[in-house]
Amino acid sequence: MPDDRELLDTRASAQLLGDRFPGMAATEEAIMAVSTEHLDGDDVLARKPLGFLFWFAVVWVAVVFLAAILANVLPLQNPNFQNYSSLNQAPSTAHWLGTDDLGRDLLARVIFGSRVSLVVGFVGVAIGLAIGGTAGLISGYKGGKLDIALNAGSFIILAFPAIVAVIAIVTFWGQSLLHITIILGVGTIPLMFRVIRASSLSFAQRDFVVAAKTMGATDTRIVLREILPNVIPVMVTFSLITVAGIIVIEGTLAFLGLSVNLPTPSWGNLINEGTANNALATDPYIMIWPALAMFLLLWSINLIGDRLRQRFDIREGLL
Amino acid sequence: MTEPQEISRRSFLSRSAAAGGAVVLAGAAGSALAACSSSSSSSSTSATASGSKPGIGTGTPIKGGSLTVGLIAEIDGFYPPNNHWDTNGFIYANTLYDPLCAIAADGSTQPYLCQSITPNATYDTWTMVLRPNIKFNDGSALDASVVVNNYTELNASLLTGQALVQVVSCTASDPMTVVYKLQAPNPGFPAGLTSQLGYVVGQAMIDSVKAGNKTPTPIGTGPFIFQSWQPNDHFTATRNPNYWRAGLPYLDQITFRPIPDTIQRESTLKTGGVDMLQSTDPETIKRFEGQSNYQVVDTTTGVLGEPTVAFVMLNTAVAPTNDLTIRKALAMSLNQATVQKIFGGGLTKPINGIFLPDSQYYSDPGYPSYDPAQAKKLVSQYAAQHGQPKLTLLTITDPRLGQVVQIIQQMWNQVGFDVTISQIEQANLINDFIAGQYQAATSYQFGTIDPDLNYVWWSTTTAKPVGQIALNFARNNDPVIEQNMLTGRHTTDKATRVKAYQTVNEQLAKDLPYLWLQQYIFSEVATSRVQNFANPTLPSGAPAYAYDEGIFVPTQIWLSK
Amino acid sequence: MSKYLVRRVLQLVVVAFVISVLTFMLVHLLPGDPTTVILGPNDTAANRAILLKQLGLNLPLWHQYTTWLGAVFHGNLGTSYLNHQSVTHILATGAPVDIELIIISQVIAFAVAIPLALVTSRKPNKPLDNVATTSTFGLLALPPFVVAPILVAVFAVGLGWFPATGYTPFNQNPATNIHEMILPSVAITAGSIAVYYRLLRSDLISTLQQDFITMARSKGLSSTRIMWRHAFRPSSFSLLAAAGINIGALIAGTFVVELLFVLPGIGYALVQAVEQRDYLVVQGIALVVAIAYVIIQFVIDFIFTIVDPRVVRE
Repeated sequence: MPDDRELLDTRASAQLLGDRFPGMAATEEAIMAVSTEHLDGDDVLARKPLGFLFWFAVVWVAVVFLAAILANVLPLQNPNFQNYSSLNQAPSTAHWLGTDDLGRDLLARVIFGSRVSLVVGFVGVAIGLAIGGTAGLISGYKGGKLDIALNAGSFIILAFPAIVAVIAIVTFWGQSLLHITIILGVGTIPLMFRVIRASSLSFAQRDFVVAAKTMGATDTRIVLREILPNVIPVMVTFSLITVAGIIVIEGTLAFLGLSVNLPTPSWGNLINEGTANNALATDPYIMIWPALAMFLLLWSINLIGDRLRQRFDIREGLL
Repeated sequence: MTEPQEISRRSFLSRSAAAGGAVVLAGAAGSALAACSSSSSSSSTSATASGSKPGIGTGTPIKGGSLTVGLIAEIDGFYPPNNHWDTNGFIYANTLYDPLCAIAADGSTQPYLCQSITPNATYDTWTMVLRPNIKFNDGSALDASVVVNNYTELNASLLTGQALVQVVSCTASDPMTVVYKLQAPNPGFPAGLTSQLGYVVGQAMIDSVKAGNKTPTPIGTGPFIFQSWQPNDHFTATRNPNYWRAGLPYLDQITFRPIPDTIQRESTLKTGGVDMLQSTDPETIKRFEGQSNYQVVDTTTGVLGEPTVAFVMLNTAVAPTNDLTIRKALAMSLNQATVQKIFGGGLTKPINGIFLPDSQYYSDPGYPSYDPAQAKKLVSQYAAQHGQPKLTLLTITDPRLGQVVQIIQQMWNQVGFDVTISQIEQANLINDFIAGQYQAATSYQFGTIDPDLNYVWWSTTTAKPVGQIALNFARNNDPVIEQNMLTGRHTTDKATRVKAYQTVNEQLAKDLPYLWLQQYIFSEVATSRVQNFANPTLPSGAPAYAYDEGIFVPTQIWLSK
Repeated sequence: MSKYLVRRVLQLVVVAFVISVLTFMLVHLLPGDPTTVILGPNDTAANRAILLKQLGLNLPLWHQYTTWLGAVFHGNLGTSYLNHQSVTHILATGAPVDIELIIISQVIAFAVAIPLALVTSRKPNKPLDNVATTSTFGLLALPPFVVAPILVAVFAVGLGWFPATGYTPFNQNPATNIHEMILPSVAITAGSIAVYYRLLRSDLISTLQQDFITMARSKGLSSTRIMWRHAFRPSSFSLLAAAGINIGALIAGTFVVELLFVLPGIGYALVQAVEQRDYLVVQGIALVVAIAYVIIQFVIDFIFTIVDPRVVRE
């Protein structure tokens, strides 16, 4: 192949990933690439109906959230009540999803368990977004000493042995939903920071931002009106991926005994209970239902995120 | 061996039932060396329906072969004064070393490495004669001076020194004779020499440690010689060709692999990665028994002395568990049968104290029976004056125990308590026990060949206030128990002993520092190839204690074709 | 160039130092100390005091830290209070395990994600693509502690194709070693497959829309050649970058498979050390792992600056 074609190839990709800037770690760009997936055919797609799958996903998410919120008023059995005469039962009319190894109703446990997982997932990410996202937004735009410091700080948190931190903090502080959410939320701060910073940085050099500056717009206005709207697609996509990640990590914490105290159910500790004590062989339902619920939720929210982003992808400034 | 909940080498991710391997510094932990060892009846192993018993070899032993055993946890080292041994520790010890004395199948203490050990008339001087012509695997001879040097190191060690407080002196009266002088008469002294204090290591190993080597190569008289050790991975030892017991061992090589997760350990057995495994999950027994290609030996029968028991420990020094009414209510609302059904796999029997019905010390101690109605009354009585009793039930991060505490929580909540569960790391839990910073917690302990070895856990001298280090974790300050434990230790009259320990058992049922759950079951499973793993013998040829609560002896094992 | 290097090295030093201080503080925040584990039932106040003094743990914290730091500069990371293994030895024997685990799992992830993405990116949002996307999300929802027992039950116990636990060092027996590492690697690869697949797929879709692809097609180039030389090559960079981030997550997460498959790796050693308050082991491992992580990130970035012509050099 002649050389200029090679160059043409790579330049073409360069358009996709935006201009590169010194100091921007390639890793962030990779993440951005996922999030700014930008199909030229999207304009066409945007006008297509959102599709059956999309609505299915919306319904599922709505059902999960409503069930979690209304769990107390729904006609569910007590999720913590142990019935020693109905251990490890398969789904039946008495227990729609069966019972676990202590005779507790699985439907109730999965629904009540969703509360913990949803809170940990969404509130945790909200924390990361609020702190890390904001910092990244500003830092990517302003640059300078602030940027270097925050960047190094995020690096420190990322390189720190997470497991040591979690064990130490949970042991010291105690296991409650609030504490776990905060710990996991704080853990997402550097990720949010890095990704949103990268995005913010790339938009900060664009023509429309430069134009706004020359026109005398304040930093605040620029950040809020020029950069933020363009960063939102990245934020949304990445946040949803992170929600998925956190909900799964809560399961690993349960495996270590570091999640919410028994007998409070969470999808993580239900899955854990379903794999421990040879439960997979004696009663696989304990693991199957929460894993299925978790999978459907993750898949749904990411699908929703994808389709919405395709439809409303903003590429240029609002000037 | 008396054993508080496993303190060290278990990972807190112990996926095996109830945090496996219970034993910490076996034997005379903190107490004087044991009073006379006596025992309950002993049938050896659980027989299967077929003719051959599991773990008992038939036919001619075959020399050669390599055995791999899956253990529950790793240990920290092989030097008795510096590393405290749990159940796993003793498995390693039986491989590399020999103890001075060993427990026979009838529960009595018999000479093993030594040839004889005889008391004077007042039981405060013991004369031990060593067997002649025994060499350590480095060629040095077993003689009185090396035994005395072992004693000196044990005595000086922070770990083991406590246990030797009652020994005034240990000297060599001639090259093959060691004389122990005790502070006070102790008819059961030799039983202590079956513990960590009785395993003898070579002089070169002692010298190596004294020179500063913290990881000395093990040098012992045992059936196998240390070859290699990668902690948490594997340990290998090879046959000692000069072993002093003629014709033994049969195996060429033995390897230990610590596998913390019970299901993974069982899977490794099924896939052939190990030939034999140890377990503390009663379900293991149910999963393997009755299968023709596996042999199962467990402690549901055949325990000599007192078995290890699982219980809920109540802190008698903090509210609300310092109130006897509350402790009674907690006891009466705890349905032992339900707990045993789920936690014990239905393999255990009801338990009302430290002695099982077949023990010579057994008498009905009057432990409160299951009566939730009465418990509710007591709780409302208490609540009327002090408000609803709240307490936290602690346990370790183990899935089996996680089940147990949830069951107990429901039972207690149903009679009016407000119970919170907290699962914490092993190290934290032990710390809380020692400092008395808990209200209720699960634990397992008190397995011993002789009740005297439990002195330190029940004595008034070790019941310090909350915040201070105390080995009487429940802080149950009961002078009647103290008196009777001492009587039991020092008396030479059998009837007096029995009465003394019965009284102790009755006091425990009155004071209620411990709410009994069930016997803690140990089991070993081996493929059909592994012969004779539960049939150890004394040098005299008489049968030894077949399966000492998780501890087996590798010497007499052989592999069939 | 040298300015770049100097800045990176400086960053590394600062990060390593801060992490070592934080780890030190955190691990001393935990209640208790190694004496409980070491002494067991011989834990009397007197014994504890003696042991603490012997171990140097009665000194003020800042003193302990500086002593440790000094030792580190002399290449001495200390030893375990429990089994007296040197931290260096623990790292030397444990690192190969984790490195191999990560490499094999990433190889598997690439082997699955790349072909899948190459195929589905040609027809986005069609049935195959939807199935693939759904499946990869399913993988995300399955953490290693769930996948591992299932893998063992099916492939080790059930089919007998792999061992359930165990580790043989590579230099001792490469074949056995790989055989033993397959199941553990598969157990931790699920999340990686999902991430790489998603990333590559979106990258490829965009690239395929570009004009030069149409031009290549019109020139009569085969689809395969187009995919590989023109679409995949630029995308491989982002894949490499994503791998860099992923490694961080993996390093943190290997201890579950190490525990379950009994692999003597660093993750499990670290967790056990925290549990047993084996301070020096915790500090040593944390420090080395942090440094390794930072270096890996720097190396990846560096490769980019060299290899990727789009990146502006400083």
